[in-house]
Amino acid sequence: MRRIGAALGVLLLLAACGADPDDAVVRDTRTPRPATSAGTEPTESTEADPQPDEATDSTDMGSGPLLVPEQFPTIQQAVDAAVPGDLILISPGTYHEAVNVTTDELTIRGLSRADVILDGEFELDNGIRVLGANGVAIENMTAMNFTKNGFFWTGVEGYRGSYLTAYRTGDYGVYAFDSSKGLLEHSYAAGSPDAGFYIGECYTCDAVIDDVISEHNGLGYSGTNSGGNLLIVNSTFRFNRAGIVPNSGSYELCYPERETTIVGNLVYSNNQADTPAIDVAILAMGNGILSAGGVRNLIERNRVWDHDKTGIGLVPFLEENPADDQPPQSEWGRSCAESKSDAPPDPATVPEVVLWDSHDNEVRGNALSDNREGDLAVASAGTDISTLGNCFADNDFTRSRPSAVESLAPCGDPVSGDWSADSLDVATWLVEAASRPPSVNFQTAKLPPIPELDEMPNAADAPADPATNMPPSVDLAAIEVPAKP
Amino acid sequence: MISACADGSDEQVIEVEVPGAAPPGLIESLGGPQGRVPQLVVECFFSHSSFDDPIVYPGDPGASHLHHFFGNHSTDANSTYESLIAADTTCNDQQDTAAYWTPALLDDGREVEPTKAVIYYRPGLDVDPAAIEVYPPGMAMISRLTAWTCGSAGTREQEPPECPSNRSLHLVVVFPDCWNGKDLDSIDHTVHVAYSGGGTCPDSHPRLLPQLTLTIEYPISGSGHDLSLSSGDLSTAHADFINSWNQEKLEADLGLCLARNVVCGVSR
Repeated sequence: MRRIGAALGVLLLLAACGADPDDAVVRDTRTPRPATSAGTEPTESTEADPQPDEATDSTDMGSGPLLVPEQFPTIQQAVDAAVPGDLILISPGTYHEAVNVTTDELTIRGLSRADVILDGEFELDNGIRVLGANGVAIENMTAMNFTKNGFFWTGVEGYRGSYLTAYRTGDYGVYAFDSSKGLLEHSYAAGSPDAGFYIGECYTCDAVIDDVISEHNGLGYSGTNSGGNLLIVNSTFRFNRAGIVPNSGSYELCYPERETTIVGNLVYSNNQADTPAIDVAILAMGNGILSAGGVRNLIERNRVWDHDKTGIGLVPFLEENPADDQPPQSEWGRSCAESKSDAPPDPATVPEVVLWDSHDNEVRGNALSDNREGDLAVASAGTDISTLGNCFADNDFTRSRPSAVESLAPCGDPVSGDWSADSLDVATWLVEAASRPPSVNFQTAKLPPIPELDEMPNAADAPADPATNMPPSVDLAAIEVPAKP
Repeated sequence: MISACADGSDEQVIEVEVPGAAPPGLIESLGGPQGRVPQLVVECFFSHSSFDDPIVYPGDPGASHLHHFFGNHSTDANSTYESLIAADTTCNDQQDTAAYWTPALLDDGREVEPTKAVIYYRPGLDVDPAAIEVYPPGMAMISRLTAWTCGSAGTREQEPPECPSNRSLHLVVVFPDCWNGKDLDSIDHTVHVAYSGGGTCPDSHPRLLPQLTLTIEYPISGSGHDLSLSSGDLSTAHADFINSWNQEKLEADLGLCLARNVVCGVSR
């Protein structure tokens, strides 16, 4: 029996069928690595190990991109053969693989977003999973029918996903956990019971979500205990159970969620009852942007409309039987790394219930309409909401809960006035959730076909671009409230 | 712990460290937030129930108390390693064809069908993840180190707590993480394995394994329940495990997740 660490050099490839040779495209503008014993055609092999002469001695491989399937029948074989800085180019075809990446600074690129398809066939777990490998960029491809996630980075510094499509996945579409310095852009996710896009357990995250579409998921975006220079901009969240839901909870580290900046997004019609959905998505259903126990978030210049509940809601998360107590405000600046070094909580000190209130959030300049329980809302489950430090300014709205919230809690001025008028009782949501439509099996949920989506420009010829300088800077001031489509 | 009386003095309680026994308070201390240690997580829906037990009563259908089975669809009294690895699974990792089972939970004598099991493979407390080995194919064991909790992350208690409606009752079972390196099973299905202490295994069971934790979710909340188990009162709680994973996948995932010290998913 081997120690598990010894297995790292031999990553298992599951049911790798390679691509349809009829779809394989070879561009003669590139300098391919020398042909190897792997041949040029994909196979139906389920062998896990690359041939030694094709995969283990990169000095023989030339300096061009690694070509799948022309040089390597499977993506996994190319990944295993690659060294930091390499570019892997994947020709159109359907690849029945769950790819694991443990090499830093790879660029893994499909030559066609629509036609390079990783299909898990509801048998494989993750499309591409990057485990503790820093700076890996994944570009221009589709992952569908995986039992867990489409694209997943965990425990990395530096990541990028560009022109990705995730469709029908059992947990998340595009997922970054315990990772920092990232960018998710020009991407699409549909059909996950949890979030289409998720960035969790990081502080500071130093990450950007830019120009994505998330629809028909339980949650459009979710981020548990994440934040700190975390930007969600210029994106569309629609037809999910709930739209953008940053949230706090003690079931995983780095609480609370804090300092997420949500600017310039289209958020509409997140009342979708026929999606797969985790319990939290059912509870949050009908809300556009919902801070559930979030702290110090900036929600600005978004257009939010057509929700059964709130357009922008700052609400509590009542965590019963938590794993830990919430930290005092003086510790909200602690990094995730510091939290990890803490001793596990003493069960005797953990309360029966933790009320994660939404504190110190700033809601400015949003355009809201037809959000049936209130365009803007702030609520708690026992705390005097006038003490929470949230503020509202320059929003275009009709109804707020409580009434006239911009007068009660103007940004930069002291709170004043009557906070009881037309206040929102979110406890009723708990009751209502029990009678809402249950989750639908993600394998069979009704989904629209994948829309026509932008292809990565110049995918065949663009050089390797590992995620070593992430995230890019974003000119937030230049972002305007987007027009309705 | 043992009790002792000496020279007519008051009874004294002396703590004796038994190599390989679960350290006091272990299961309670293994709660808390996920994300501190690496883990591989699999969710397996309830598969079936029967009066079979391929570890305790192999080849003797109907001889056992009622069991709830998770993961492998085919588990019964006649299961073998070969039959198990050829069968389907209820797990979200389709390569996890391991067999997991517990005695049936009863409420006022009636069977309570569980919802699912969430199964964690982690390093034991203070264990170096890179030193962990993979379960050998076909390894079987029973654990009686159990606790009850509401939700998946709440405080672990020895008696089932009264759970709120959105945090249903869970049984938690933590398996030994040290192995004697020789036997796939043993006479009582426990003596070939042991618990680590202080991050190391006892000399008798020197091989470090993952610490397998099962959390079984039941649709039980609120008051008014009269709970027991098909094996007897609640103190008889336990769980059984046969490693019939796709061995290559298990080895790869444990290497990718535990040895690389990353979190390969969390449960909600």
